Amino acid sequence: MKRKGLMRITAVFFGLMICFTILSRAAYQEGTALVHTGRPSSMVISHQVKTTGKVEQNQELAVTTEPNLRVASIEVGEGDRVSRGDLLFTLDLTMLEEKILNQKQEMEKQQLNVEDAKSQKDVSRQQKANEQAQASENYSLNTNRAGVALSRAARNLNQAREELKEFRKNSGREEGDDTVEAALEADLEEKTQAYVDAVQELDSLKWQIENAVYQALQAAQGGTASLESRQTVLTGAEDLLLEEAPQPAASFQAETQPQPAASSQPETQPQPAAGSQPETQPQPETSSQPETEKSETGPAETQDSLLEEESPGNLSDAAPEEYDPDILLEEEPILQETGETVWEPEIQEEPWTENPALPETEQTEGETVSGAPPTEEELNRLEQSVRDGYRERLEAAQNAAAAALEEKNRACEALARYQQERLAAESAAEAQTEQGLLDALQAARDAYVDASIAANEAAVTSGRAVAAAGIPQASNSSDRVNEITYEQMELQLEKLETLLENQGRVCAPADGLVTGIYIQTGGMTAETTAVLLADLSKGYRFVGEITREQEKYIGAGDLVTLTANTGRESFEELPVSAVRADEEKEGVYTVTVQLPEDTLELGAAAALDFTKKSEVYPICVPLSALYLDEKNLPYVLVLDEIDTIMGTETRARKVSVTVLEQNESFAALAEGAVGSQEEVIVSSDKSVDDGSRVRLAS
Amino acid sequence: MAKIGRLGIGLLLGILAAAVLFPVCFAVTGAITSQWELEEYLAPVLGGGSGMAKWRLLPLAPTLRSLVELLLDSPQFFAMFWNSIKITACVLAGQALFGVPAAWGIARYAFPGRRLVLTLCAVLMLMPFQVLMFPEYLVLDGLKLLDTHWAVILPAVFSTYPVFLMYRFFESIPEAVLEAARIDGAGHVQTFLKMGLPLGMPGIMSSMMLNFLDSWNMIEQPMTFLKTRSLWPLSLFLPEIGLGDAGVGFAAAGMMLIPALLLFFLGQDYLEQGIAAAAVKE
Repeated sequence: MKRKGLMRITAVFFGLMICFTILSRAAYQEGTALVHTGRPSSMVISHQVKTTGKVEQNQELAVTTEPNLRVASIEVGEGDRVSRGDLLFTLDLTMLEEKILNQKQEMEKQQLNVEDAKSQKDVSRQQKANEQAQASENYSLNTNRAGVALSRAARNLNQAREELKEFRKNSGREEGDDTVEAALEADLEEKTQAYVDAVQELDSLKWQIENAVYQALQAAQGGTASLESRQTVLTGAEDLLLEEAPQPAASFQAETQPQPAASSQPETQPQPAAGSQPETQPQPETSSQPETEKSETGPAETQDSLLEEESPGNLSDAAPEEYDPDILLEEEPILQETGETVWEPEIQEEPWTENPALPETEQTEGETVSGAPPTEEELNRLEQSVRDGYRERLEAAQNAAAAALEEKNRACEALARYQQERLAAESAAEAQTEQGLLDALQAARDAYVDASIAANEAAVTSGRAVAAAGIPQASNSSDRVNEITYEQMELQLEKLETLLENQGRVCAPADGLVTGIYIQTGGMTAETTAVLLADLSKGYRFVGEITREQEKYIGAGDLVTLTANTGRESFEELPVSAVRADEEKEGVYTVTVQLPEDTLELGAAAALDFTKKSEVYPICVPLSALYLDEKNLPYVLVLDEIDTIMGTETRARKVSVTVLEQNESFAALAEGAVGSQEEVIVSSDKSVDDGSRVRLAS
Repeated sequence: MAKIGRLGIGLLLGILAAAVLFPVCFAVTGAITSQWELEEYLAPVLGGGSGMAKWRLLPLAPTLRSLVELLLDSPQFFAMFWNSIKITACVLAGQALFGVPAAWGIARYAFPGRRLVLTLCAVLMLMPFQVLMFPEYLVLDGLKLLDTHWAVILPAVFSTYPVFLMYRFFESIPEAVLEAARIDGAGHVQTFLKMGLPLGMPGIMSSMMLNFLDSWNMIEQPMTFLKTRSLWPLSLFLPEIGLGDAGVGFAAAGMMLIPALLLFFLGQDYLEQGIAAAAVKE
């Protein structure tokens, strides 16, 4: 029994071992993946681009009409095909006629506006001319008056000088005998000249200041007003006003540049414009230099004559250029006979015959003004800053004039004292007579100086008035603006009348297909499109959308196949005209294919098909054979047979690869990793990893 | 006094038996120990851990997971098990076919050179495998038997060890018994089959059992002569096991023990008879 029991146990044991053997093998095989394999092949990787789209027109026509008109009826609908001249819609005639009438009335009003503007322009022009004429007339009168006074003073001075000369001659004294008196007179003359120069300089500086302020204000207000124009505007005025001693005849001489330290010149004295008329002609744009030189030389010559004395001296050299050569004052020693030398300018009495030419003020109108207009406060600040810039010089000039006057008075007193002393040595009667003559001479001299200064001031003042009158008026283009408006209204009226002639009918301008209607029956027309037509004469194009990945494989010039959605028509080898990115949708590209005639109809849906083939790759595997590991690197699984306890088993082995190109089905691998004879796992019924048991599917 | 003596002897023997049985208990408890416990206990030995390995005879978290994994999820074990069964059965059958008659002939027939043959058998029996490995390899390679089970079976079949074991038992059969059979008309074969085998069965079974254990636990010969892993016997399964499969390894060790135990229990009577007969004879 014992043995039987053991035998039984042994049998059960072996029986159990057999069962477990079967079960374990079944479980073992259950974990084995059934795989399909394939060998890498040499092939071309093709990329297929497929998309759908529709046929559009190449050109659209927008049909518009006049705005704010009522639509009476619409004769077409979207999708209708129309020919050139077909009626699209009609407008309400009653409203059209009303609009035409309104337009005509508006045009009439506009015409009246045009005439009014022209009339106003003429009137203002006439007023300006009158102002200028008045200013020039005043200038002439003032300068003439001053010239007359100056002539008279010159005559009186000459006369007093002659009388004194005569008296001394009769008394037996020769001019030039008294050198002391001659020296004192020369000194007095010099001081007098200096005083006149200082006054002229002061006046000139004042004018420069005013001019600088004027220019600064003009620049601030005029903006881009050209300097030339300003200069042109001011040239005449400058000729008249900027000269230190603008003169009736010499005011237009081209001392265009203000000369702050201008030498004292006889131009300050108005001169009868006889001898030197050519020089007095206005030369507003010529260089001041020749004139200045001329004026310098002229007065220099005059100076020489003026300052010429009986006694040798350098009076001619010392005396500054101050007198206008027109005055032709010749300096001659007067008291030659008495031995005393008295410097006296010899005055030629010439009538003030001609009015000096007025500065040519060019009225430049319409000078451009740019920038924002400055405020009054800014203008005041600007003016003050300009004046402050000249303050020191003005004070210096004033001090110089005062000092010159004091020097002159001192010299005059010295001469008078000397003459008194000398007279005291004479007989009482002769002394008294001579004293009277000397007093008269002095008075005449003073009067002459005063007349010179007055003449200068009159010329300056009048010249300023002429310049001010010469400032051009602001531009006025209202007449032209009104004319332009009238012309526009005329054009609009023409359009309305044309509509009325056509009985309010709006027709198609060309053969086309109505793609949009933006008006309503009974509604008002707008300035925008009323009806949109697809121009059939310009042909059609196919437009489809593709993705960014597809865009890599298709480009302009590629030949594609279009198939209508009906499937009945297919057109091959149509070139792609453009591939562009869609501006609204990111990652979407638009493919455009120009369609030949008689292919697809407008609005038809079609499918685009294009296949791009790459080069031949020797190692290509199905895309299902490609896996990605945890580092996103591609690999494939190849079969390996290994010897195990269970016998020869097929296991999967991981092989890292490099993908050269791939499409939706195949991937081209770089050579070297996988041989062309190796079996690559393409598919499996379970997940397969490196080292997994696999079983080949039959 | 006798009782105390017997008790003492019994206690001593019990201790010695426990010491002998400890590895068996080690394997059995290891088979039901959970993996994390095994890794903790055996890491200093198998896992590169520090310190000394330890063990619990009663695990903290016993589990049958290792047994289930071995029995249902390890077909390799069963493949190797049946390889071992095949090799062992063939070896024993071969030894019964060739070794028993050889031992009977050496024991009962006085032929010239008999003592030389016996001496050669004893010498060859004493030679370790490492000495015989190379000549065996050359012979098997010449016979084109390498990497086959015959490379393991044939050398074991023609081993001198079972001849030597059975020779002693056949020699102990009384000549008078064989003479009586001869007188009754039995020939040499009948005498061998009808008188020699039954009377020498204890020796034969003892030899079978010892050679079973030898063949069942054979490691060197399969490692040397078998390259194909599918031919390996179960004795080579455990070297495949690492710390991560320690539970399966212990379960496998327990399972390997069962056939040997069963065979021992089946042949225990013969072993005792054989030992007794040898003692009586002496």
